[in-house]
Amino acid sequence: MDLFANLAHGFSVALTLNNLLFCFIGCIIGTAIGVLPGIGPVATISLLLPITFGQPATTAIIMLAGIYYGAQYGGSTTAILLNLPGEVSSVVTTLEGYKMARRGRAGAALTVAALGSFFAGSVATILVAASGPLLTQVALSFGPADYFSLMLLGLVISAVLAQGSVVKSIGMVVFGVSLGMVGTDVQTGQQRFTFGIPELSDGVGFVSIAMGMFGIAEIILNLERPEARSVMSGKVGSLMMTREEFRRAVPAVLRGTTVGSLLGILPGGGAALSSFGSYMMERKVSRGRHEFGNGAIEGVAGPEAANNAASQTSFIPLLTLGIPANAVMALMVGALIIQGIQPGPRMVEAQPDLFWGLIASMWIGNLMLLVINLPMIGMWVKLLAVPYRYMYPSIMVFCAIGVYSLQNNVFDVYQTVVFGIFGYLCSKLRLEAAPMLIGFVLGPMMEEHLRRAMLLSRGDPMVFVERPISAVMLGIAAVALIAMLMPNVRKGKDAALAEGG
Amino acid sequence: MKLNTKDLISAALLIGFAVVALWLNTDHTLGTARRMGPGYMPMLAFWLLLGLGVIVLLLGLVNGPDPIERWTGAEIGFLLAGAVAGVAAGMAAAGMSGWVAAGWNPLGIGLFVGCMVVSVVKSWRPLFLISAAFSLFGLILEPLGLMLAIGLSVILSAFADETHTPKGVAGLVVFLCALCWAVFIYELDIRVPVWPQF
Repeated sequence: MDLFANLAHGFSVALTLNNLLFCFIGCIIGTAIGVLPGIGPVATISLLLPITFGQPATTAIIMLAGIYYGAQYGGSTTAILLNLPGEVSSVVTTLEGYKMARRGRAGAALTVAALGSFFAGSVATILVAASGPLLTQVALSFGPADYFSLMLLGLVISAVLAQGSVVKSIGMVVFGVSLGMVGTDVQTGQQRFTFGIPELSDGVGFVSIAMGMFGIAEIILNLERPEARSVMSGKVGSLMMTREEFRRAVPAVLRGTTVGSLLGILPGGGAALSSFGSYMMERKVSRGRHEFGNGAIEGVAGPEAANNAASQTSFIPLLTLGIPANAVMALMVGALIIQGIQPGPRMVEAQPDLFWGLIASMWIGNLMLLVINLPMIGMWVKLLAVPYRYMYPSIMVFCAIGVYSLQNNVFDVYQTVVFGIFGYLCSKLRLEAAPMLIGFVLGPMMEEHLRRAMLLSRGDPMVFVERPISAVMLGIAAVALIAMLMPNVRKGKDAALAEGG
Repeated sequence: MKLNTKDLISAALLIGFAVVALWLNTDHTLGTARRMGPGYMPMLAFWLLLGLGVIVLLLGLVNGPDPIERWTGAEIGFLLAGAVAGVAAGMAAAGMSGWVAAGWNPLGIGLFVGCMVVSVVKSWRPLFLISAAFSLFGLILEPLGLMLAIGLSVILSAFADETHTPKGVAGLVVFLCALCWAVFIYELDIRVPVWPQF
């Protein structure tokens, strides 16, 4: 079978010493930032983007991916032991996980989180491998109009699923698209909105936006909040699960994997949404539902499996269609473009090393994480003893050097300052930064496809509804928007996100 | 009427941006729907943004209340003073000759001075002291080198958190200098001056 030959090729790429090393580094960094509250995968990946430029594209993406799914592992550790979610995606893990720790079953909770994540990661890896080439085939039949509608759908869903007001999120998406218009017009070469600044002719710096709005703004917001870190109470206890716990965890992991894989593919989905979805599901259907609130193992197993599955399946739209499903994937697009690779359906054929190597590395990375996490939990928890006052200057300095080294230009540093202040303002006004970043990445691509589609249709906008694929995409987008206008659907979402963080 | 202050400010931001951008966009040829010029897609995006801004504004009139934290007189005063001082310093630097006017230095000086003035007020310190330290890094990196840039910007940013001790900050500076040298200079070999250039 082709799949196996391809996977074998992938493993041969992923198992080279350099790629293994960077996969390992990615997983370590991912776990560390997962454990530490106050710095998330988006900030870290934008921080490390410049460091990866010296590496081949495959190595760079392998490492960045490792950070993303590594953070899902690390996040559960502090959630269980300290009732402190290291990442948004492990907020729900605190609900049951910490209760389990209070009952002295912390070890079992950690084990089930790690094993469940590993299982989910393995399944999701296979899913990415199997669906990749299939979806690519479909995507190759897409015309410009279909692409445009697909991107529009992606933007709408990412705005609809964002926290808070849908209108404001869509506003931020369009704001991102507008920022994407800055720079040289591809077809005529005319400078747009550059104010004669040569640095802007390539567009507003992508890394500056990401670092400013996620890195610098995050530091500032954390500094304003008083530090609240509890010390670990009680012992981890035996890492072994009892037979009964194991029996109850298995179906939860299976359900969590399914939920996570599906929600991960969805534009705007990803780890945080899926762990919450899985928790809601477990609370309704699992055998131990009467125990929820007192440390039910299903409430740890399901969400942890789900967030890891989702963090991997969210690569599917990126690798097959070139469309980022969430802010982390938008960063991956940025990384690929800077490496000179245009993400899209041709990537599987044109860059087999990257596609299959990344998939194989995900599985290897999951295996590494299992080893990194379980036996060394004590070490990771000690990381929390590092006070934030030492972390924030370090993050700041790394941001500054990284952004400067992009083009050896201090303009990028100042640009980052401006976006840092803007990001702070946005978070105070409850304007979401993630949809803006996705809009910024997709904007220029949308313009390309729009122009091409309209040229082919001789200026007839009906082409978007006449082509079946495009019509379906627009239809789904419309349904999603209308659904959010209905009060009870919106309330459901708000409640879900409020509880899920 | 339940005013949602946050939404109203957001709306003002979106509308303001859209209007300015639409005005700037008059420089670009629109073209036709069939052959779109450089101004066509921006026009669509900005009108959409304007429309969304108006919707946010209308919703913000009724879906509140969601007040923002009230700024004190000092906070407003120093914010304005910082903006004025920053612009003035930037303009003055651009008008002078030598290092201060070279390259992007006027922009950096403007940002730095502006942020420093505002961070006199304690509640603004996390935001503006970090921004000032970041600008300072950009300003002194090329003339004074990486080590001094790290040292000075870390020391400046340390004032944003009162729990810092002088000893801790010194240790942090040494640690970061060593780490950054190992990662960025030894390992990645980025092109940046390490020590002051004379």
